[in-house]
Amino acid sequence: MIASQLRSMWLVFRHLFSRNATVEYPDEKPYLAPRYRGRIVLTRDPDGDERCVACNLCAVACPPDCISLQKTEDEDGRWRPEYFRINFSRCIMCGLCEDACPTYAIQLTPDFEMCEYDRQNMVYEKEDLLISGPGKYHDYSFYRVAGMSISGKDKGEAVNEAEPVDVRSLNL
Amino acid sequence: MPTITIDGRQYEVEEGQNLLASCLSLGLNLPYFCWHPAMGSVGACRQCAIIEYKDSDDAQGKLVMGCMTQVRDGGIYSLDAEPAREFRGAVIEDLMTNHPHDCPVCEEGGECHLQDMTEMSGHTYRRFRGLKRTHRNQYLGPFINHEMNRCIACYRCVRFYRDYAGGDDLEALGRNNQVYFGRQCDGKLESGFSGNLVEVCPTGVFTDQTFSRHFVRKWDLQTAPSVCEHCGVGCNTAPGARMDFSGRDENLRRVVNLYNRDTNGYFICDRGRFGYEYANSDLRIKNVLIARREQVIESTGRRNDKLHREIEPPAALEHLATVITDSQRGRRRLVGIGSPRTSLENNFALRQLVGPGNFFAGLSARDLELLHTLDHIQRDPRISIPTIPEIEDADVILVLDEDIGRTAPRVALALRQAARNNQRDHARQLEIPLWQDACVRQLRGENNPIFVLASSAPASLEDIARAQRLASPAAIVSFAEQLAARISATDQPTTTDGVDSSSTPLPDALEHLLEEVAETLLSARRPLVISGCGSQEPDILAAAGQVAAALADRHGAPCATYLTCPETNSLGLAQFFGPGEGGLEQLLEELRQRDSVDPPVTLLLLENDLYRRLPAADVESLFDRAAEVVLFDSLLQPCSRRADLVFPASATPESQGTLVNSSGMLQRHYMVYEGSGYIQESWRWLVDAVNDPACSDVGMDSPAALLRQWKHCHDVTAAIAAAVSCFRDLPETGPDENFRIEGMKLARQSHRASGRTANRAHWQVAEQAPLTDPDSPFSFTMEGVQYAGATPLQANIWSPGWNSNQAIHKFQQGVGGPRRGREPIPRLRREPTAIPVLLAKQRAGQKPGQFCLVPTWQLFGSGELSNYSDAIAGLADGPCAQLNTADAGALGLEPGGRLQLRMSGAEITLPASVSDRIAPGVIGIPVGLRAAPDLGAMLPAAAEIVRIENPEPVEPGESL
Ligand code: SF4
Ligand code: SF4
Ligand code: SF4
Ligand code: SF4
Ligand code: FES
Repeated sequence: MIASQLRSMWLVFRHLFSRNATVEYPDEKPYLAPRYRGRIVLTRDPDGDERCVACNLCAVACPPDCISLQKTEDEDGRWRPEYFRINFSRCIMCGLCEDACPTYAIQLTPDFEMCEYDRQNMVYEKEDLLISGPGKYHDYSFYRVAGMSISGKDKGEAVNEAEPVDVRSLNL
Repeated sequence: MPTITIDGRQYEVEEGQNLLASCLSLGLNLPYFCWHPAMGSVGACRQCAIIEYKDSDDAQGKLVMGCMTQVRDGGIYSLDAEPAREFRGAVIEDLMTNHPHDCPVCEEGGECHLQDMTEMSGHTYRRFRGLKRTHRNQYLGPFINHEMNRCIACYRCVRFYRDYAGGDDLEALGRNNQVYFGRQCDGKLESGFSGNLVEVCPTGVFTDQTFSRHFVRKWDLQTAPSVCEHCGVGCNTAPGARMDFSGRDENLRRVVNLYNRDTNGYFICDRGRFGYEYANSDLRIKNVLIARREQVIESTGRRNDKLHREIEPPAALEHLATVITDSQRGRRRLVGIGSPRTSLENNFALRQLVGPGNFFAGLSARDLELLHTLDHIQRDPRISIPTIPEIEDADVILVLDEDIGRTAPRVALALRQAARNNQRDHARQLEIPLWQDACVRQLRGENNPIFVLASSAPASLEDIARAQRLASPAAIVSFAEQLAARISATDQPTTTDGVDSSSTPLPDALEHLLEEVAETLLSARRPLVISGCGSQEPDILAAAGQVAAALADRHGAPCATYLTCPETNSLGLAQFFGPGEGGLEQLLEELRQRDSVDPPVTLLLLENDLYRRLPAADVESLFDRAAEVVLFDSLLQPCSRRADLVFPASATPESQGTLVNSSGMLQRHYMVYEGSGYIQESWRWLVDAVNDPACSDVGMDSPAALLRQWKHCHDVTAAIAAAVSCFRDLPETGPDENFRIEGMKLARQSHRASGRTANRAHWQVAEQAPLTDPDSPFSFTMEGVQYAGATPLQANIWSPGWNSNQAIHKFQQGVGGPRRGREPIPRLRREPTAIPVLLAKQRAGQKPGQFCLVPTWQLFGSGELSNYSDAIAGLADGPCAQLNTADAGALGLEPGGRLQLRMSGAEITLPASVSDRIAPGVIGIPVGLRAAPDLGAMLPAAAEIVRIENPEPVEPGESL
């Protein structure tokens, strides 16, 4: 019994000489890896177009149901969210939306400093979420691999696609 | 019943069924693509492979296709055996080599049979490194989107479109793995059932274009069982709604088929599927409107047109309550005008408020007479009203002047299946199971006889009819009368007296047919007579009744007779009136004869566009004679211009109520979502008015006081059942608001519904309590029982692993059977009465040189509500006068010419359209058009052509 207490005291004492894990936040900011799960952004593809195709997968994956969006289709044939809203006052930063997203559009960032006096300010719309770069995934562009044609990418021009079939030919 | 063993467990299965259907009936999961419960098997996709063992000693077994193999008593099978799983996985992997990377931008995603089957087969990763074949898409019209890359060549689309629905403009083009499913060139899919491709295609090749414009995933759609409001067939539907962009209101996103074996099975028509958009129309009324005092300046509005402004509902209700009190004191007369396009509940509430003597049907006397004639025929014990499967079972069919493909489209689709009964009989003889679709269709055998007599060629019957004759309505009536006489005459010449010599002699073409039709009908085992109100000619109905009765007498069994009603609740509305009562003309006459001492009249107009019922002048004069007009409606329709007070009424998917279809079935539709603004069911406005303090004088003994007892829709339903004896089975249409399953309500939303803490967050981040629903067995949220399999109230067809509508087999009593928990649909309980001697009325005959004007119908264009849907509105043809080619030639009418027609009391000028699709001596006038709603009100009539305006010949060389 006494031995165990002495051992505990020794362990505690030893920690006096180990490195500090805590820092003097906010004067000093700790390093957060790029994969840290903080404030959510919507990214753009390498060509600078909105990545989000309004597929709704993030919304359905979200455990507190704090993502809401509506699909619309642009003149250029792309699907886009007409609005895209995240209620950060509900978000639990679980990252499931990012996991679900088939286009790498939605990404969590290392920014966790989201304090507001008014909860209403925690509701972010697409304009607030959209950043100008591709985030963590630099090269991926969904429409380059998808089969839908959009302006500037006709049928058969996506990655791994053959020329469109001419039904009137013999197709041997 | 054969007993089979699957993976070591024994099951009893239906005799003669295939293994795939048996497995699904047993609740086992076996992937498939090309098999369809209504269309049978062709064995094209090889996805449903299972292992069949010779006997219990056979350890290896052989691979068979489940959909192509009949169950064998004592058979031993395995779904789980490794070779079968591997085979199915390989098939999917092969299909997916060409599949585009589209799921996120594919409208099918989340309810995609291909996704489900891929999951089920365990295929997850594309190993194939070759190129994907691609296709260009086609423009297929305003209903359907085409994305051919996604095709897996299961052939379901063409099998439905061509083989099942008789279309010929969609086909499998090209060859080998490049086969293409589309039209020869861009253009609208012509079939009126094209929308079913959306549900039949297991992938996202064909998707709903109207839905895509406001797309959400299936899991986000809130739904409840509903009934299609676009014709009298009463197909069951599952409308889906979702919060709109504003986060305040919900709107309707789409309508899909809801399986009900007796009314529509797996399919609905395009009017029913794409007509829903009226509910989102800009013309929706969302607030209470009151007429402004100031006069409309003559140049901007029509005479007596009123401008409106919004007022708060309590003020409007107080006004209505005052009017009601005044009427109780005899200082005002309240007149109610009902409607065939809204529920019994709304109609009954109005009738109860104003009293039966002041309640009018909102139909012309002619329309009511038609309905009463129809009702009378249906009451005869010799007449039986067939369900859709019974129609599909008929072996000889007679269609009398009803354009069934346009007035009751789903019935026309059933007729197509009936045409193949000879083939099926042949297959039975050869012991070929009926689900062997390709084999059965190979069998020789003439179509079952379908005889069509019509004044204008009906849609989509030509290719299956044994004989189609175009003749004037009068000729068709006398044909039918002589036919009835001949049917009863054979063997019993004594019973024929009085039905013969007086009738008009038939044109030769009909005379020759008479014998053949009579003989064929007499030799039929399950004859079916089809007619309806479409000809707007009571004599046609009466004559159809005579034929059916004669057949029944000869066969000693009731004769199946399907008579169409024009609107979703026409037959229900007619039950409130005795013969000869309740027409709008009668109301007009009463108002005309009003003395100056009589109290002023307030018209309460229920969801009805009177300009479709009567000539415009009569409608104006009706409104002129009323001191005040109060309108309850969902849309700003023409009558709203004359209304002093307008209350916003709910559309069918926004309300609960009962509709009576042409077969007399009582069907309840439930509220799918709450209408926006102040929208509520019309009967609730009336109840609110009676409960207003300004109405406190209405004594408890007054009939209007009954309204005070109504809180929930089921209360009104029960009151109707108590008050009108033919509706006594109404409460059986569905449970009341206290219905619970294990203490819980049924959830309208799926368990995956998303965004509930974000949908409204932009205008209020603090969540509000979810909407409660005290009026129905449903909850508005995902709280409650999900996917209750054992009740037909479940409208979201989903089951674990089955996200697409193919999950329906989990809700049926065996594949193709009735829904689980579905009781027989209650029907009107009418007093049986024999068909009276319905001798053709002596109508003012047609004078020589006169033409008979008959109504013609459009699938897209004749439906009142669907005309307000964007996709459909663009398809309606304009008003015209259709004339037979020979007649046009004789008259010297040139293409592009116009006809001026004179009837008794009216003259109209219409552009002429010349074709062979209309009988000689007859002029077809389109009815129900939004552009010319009252054309139908003048029909049928005799008219002479006063003037022909041929287009000015353009002089050669003349410059413009
Ligand atoms: S999952 Fe990605 S692409 Fe889909 S809606 Fe969400 S952010 Fe957009
Ligand atoms: S058809 Fe199904 S599997 Fe194919 S892209 Fe669409 S959702 Fe995905
Ligand atoms: S278009 Fe659809 S239904 Fe037709 S073959 Fe292709 S996958 Fe099957
Ligand atoms: S047949 Fe009639 S009830 Fe059925 S979907 Fe079509 S319009 Fe609606
Ligand atoms: S479903 Fe059996 S082969 Fe296609």
